[in-house]
Amino acid sequence: MSGLKLDGKKEMSISSEIVDFSNPSRVYVPLMNGNTICACLTKAGKKVKKGSIIGKREDLDFPILSPVSGTVVDIKKCLYQNGEMVDTVVIANDMKETLVKKNIVSDITKYTKEEFVELLRKCAIKGMGGSDFPTFLKYKGEVEILIVNAVECEPYLTADLMLCKLKAETILDSITAIMKINNIKKCFIAYKENNTIVRDAFMEYIENYNDIVLEPVKNIYPAGWERFLVKKVLGIEYDRFPSEVKVVVNNVSTIYSIYKALKYQRGISKRIVTISGEGFSIPINILVKIGTNISTVIKEIGEYKGENLKFIAGGPMMGNAIGGDNLIVTSALGAVTIISDTEDEINECMGCGRCIKVCPAKICPAFIYKNVNNKEKLKELNPELCVECGLCSYVCPSKLGLRDAVKIAKKKVKE
Amino acid sequence: MKFIKENGPHIKSNDSTSKIMTRFLIALTPIICFAIFKNSVIVYSYASKGFIESLHPLFMIIVGALTSFISETLYYKIVLKNDLRTSLYESYRSFGIISGILLALVLPPNIPLWLVSFGSFTGSIIGKMLFGGFGQNIFNPALLGYLFISASYSNLMGSPFNAYELDTIGGATPLSNLMNFNYTGSFENIVSPFGDLFNLFVGNIPGAIGEVSKLLIIISFIYLVITKTIKWIIPTIYVTTVFILTFIISKYIDAGVWYSLFHILSGGLLFGAVFMATDPVTSPLTTIGQILHGLSLGILTVLLRFLTPYPEGVMTSILFMNMLVPLFDKIGIKARNNIRNIIIIVITFILIIIISILNITHKLDKNSSNVSELDSKVNILEVKEDGNKKIYEVTSKGWGLIKADVEVEDKNIKSIIIKDSKDETQWNEIEKNNYIYKVIQNQNNIDKLDAVSGSTYSSNALKNIVKKVKIEEAK
Repeated sequence: MSGLKLDGKKEMSISSEIVDFSNPSRVYVPLMNGNTICACLTKAGKKVKKGSIIGKREDLDFPILSPVSGTVVDIKKCLYQNGEMVDTVVIANDMKETLVKKNIVSDITKYTKEEFVELLRKCAIKGMGGSDFPTFLKYKGEVEILIVNAVECEPYLTADLMLCKLKAETILDSITAIMKINNIKKCFIAYKENNTIVRDAFMEYIENYNDIVLEPVKNIYPAGWERFLVKKVLGIEYDRFPSEVKVVVNNVSTIYSIYKALKYQRGISKRIVTISGEGFSIPINILVKIGTNISTVIKEIGEYKGENLKFIAGGPMMGNAIGGDNLIVTSALGAVTIISDTEDEINECMGCGRCIKVCPAKICPAFIYKNVNNKEKLKELNPELCVECGLCSYVCPSKLGLRDAVKIAKKKVKE
Repeated sequence: MKFIKENGPHIKSNDSTSKIMTRFLIALTPIICFAIFKNSVIVYSYASKGFIESLHPLFMIIVGALTSFISETLYYKIVLKNDLRTSLYESYRSFGIISGILLALVLPPNIPLWLVSFGSFTGSIIGKMLFGGFGQNIFNPALLGYLFISASYSNLMGSPFNAYELDTIGGATPLSNLMNFNYTGSFENIVSPFGDLFNLFVGNIPGAIGEVSKLLIIISFIYLVITKTIKWIIPTIYVTTVFILTFIISKYIDAGVWYSLFHILSGGLLFGAVFMATDPVTSPLTTIGQILHGLSLGILTVLLRFLTPYPEGVMTSILFMNMLVPLFDKIGIKARNNIRNIIIIVITFILIIIISILNITHKLDKNSSNVSELDSKVNILEVKEDGNKKIYEVTSKGWGLIKADVEVEDKNIKSIIIKDSKDETQWNEIEKNNYIYKVIQNQNNIDKLDAVSGSTYSSNALKNIVKKVKIEEAK
């Protein structure tokens, strides 16, 4: 499989500690799951507790939980990570952290598989690596192998890295529980070979766990892509989902959230977010409540540097420059990258073939770009296989918007 | 604070089209320098040519580059109705000068400047701008210009020698010499007239101004590969294919490995493979496409060298294969979806290679029977030596029997004196056409010379005399 070595720039934001900003006066919870709009199950003036259901993705009966206790003030449009304004539930935080139900489970391995899946749904655990995909769906079928994704291949991002560094033991406990409940035989913790912090963090404890293996992967982008990982770690390929080959791939942050769910039966209320990039004075990792308006935190930490800045929700490869900094933190938002705009000298496609060489999904972006208006031809070019990693646009010497073209083609083919 | 709203990715590789083209030009500089050294400096020092006259090769390169730049600018200005500033900028951005320089480098050293200009102009306008400019053209503009020159002004194309070589070496280029020997023969016949293989490697042989130094071309190739400027698969597969095919042929004719090396080191093969076949715009994008492209180029070049009276073959192959690039890419895309899709293509290629080799060996067999046929038609009665001159007294079968004296100096035929041609019914046609003079003029490429219409038998008898004497001389 192809891919490319990128300048990681991770050392910028690796620091000794994570700064806690988890007491916002107000949270704004988007009524979204990924790009699916969810129904609102609350209204202004209602009192909520931490863990109260305030919205629901109706097709999957998948709840949205309140990350704080307090009062619903308003339902208004706010800036979401895809760059659009979406409905959010505004909750005034009473700082009391009153829970719906206080519950501490002493032995987290004592769940049946059915209880486990139901718990993941109730606690609204979702993919925290960026997909926002409901995790309970992954565990519905039989599972033989679990791959924990701690690769974090996008440049600048260190949120998962920091989590591994600080919570390695908890993560291993969580993995053990998941393995026992689901009768999983083997688990691989995949990390990038040059991110030695991850290796060192687990090394201390890993001897006690026979079925958990630390698995280094090459320092290339997009090594953290699900299909890529399954292929690299296990040497097998699948058609659409890893469940076809009885494999589950979970982000390491998701694993940590599952621990919280198993132990306290709580949903995701906080997460680590990396704020980094040359356009920001103090690159840092922060712990924030889901629903925090990140601009208020940023103002407290440091300031923007330079001209023509881009405020990117996510990493520089797959994130969107959303055109403003009033971004709402969701569980899928791993980072905010602030960098200045590249000055691109755009030219015609010269046919160098680099986009084709580098594409991890084995499609031909240059030909899709040229035939973007020819639907018949597009069908032969399989744009639907694209994972939107952005490498084609990255390598293009003529600086063409190849990924955008493939995205358009994807839509056209699906019509 | 204002932020830019944009789709990602937000970091880009720091390579760009103009950087790639600049590196391509850098790779060409040693070759340009050697062209000027060999065809200007040496000529000025040893061949009593004037200073300005010696600089002709340099002027060729400058004229080539300038013409393509100016003609593209004019096209942007007049046809596309841009203002002058934009036209100049667009022309700069479409890297027109590269095709002009490439064209000059594949031309022989003594070609008129206006012809370089003509080729460069047609290459840029017809080969590139009419297709829609940079990135849109199907054919390599430099090669299309070359085609226009050689098709319309072949008589002005000039010889591949510079003035110094005309004085010292004389004779033929390695490839036309090879053809005179019907592609078979010993090391002494084929390589020794040019020294040894090392001479061919460093470029101490006659040929087009930029093509001869294989050493510099290989150095440039390494530079281009390390800097990821060109599609290295194409030249590698191309040259390897030529090597393997000629190696098989060399086994057939009982020659050593030098025979394949000779094929690789002579003519424009390396230059064409590295600088022309890799032109990003006119070569396949997919890996499988590039492999097939290189393979086809190799097969076609060998076929052209062995089966046609044009011993070069490289430029024609590349130009022809430009047309098949979309097909190769189509196959490449299919192979990307599923590698099994190309089993049929692989089988086809294996068949093509087998058929090609059979064809060539058949031709070589026929050639050797031609040689014995030549022996039965031409008889050398006596050879007189007079200092460095030799006079061959020969007879040759036409309608009847032609008797002639052939005067040879330094392995070159200087004159043919006909002593008896009374049996030739259409001899007046020969004389009207000044055919004997033509035969002497074309002695190194005698197979390319057409017979006089209405007098084919006598024409062939004269051509046979030249062939026979040439073979005798080379022994």
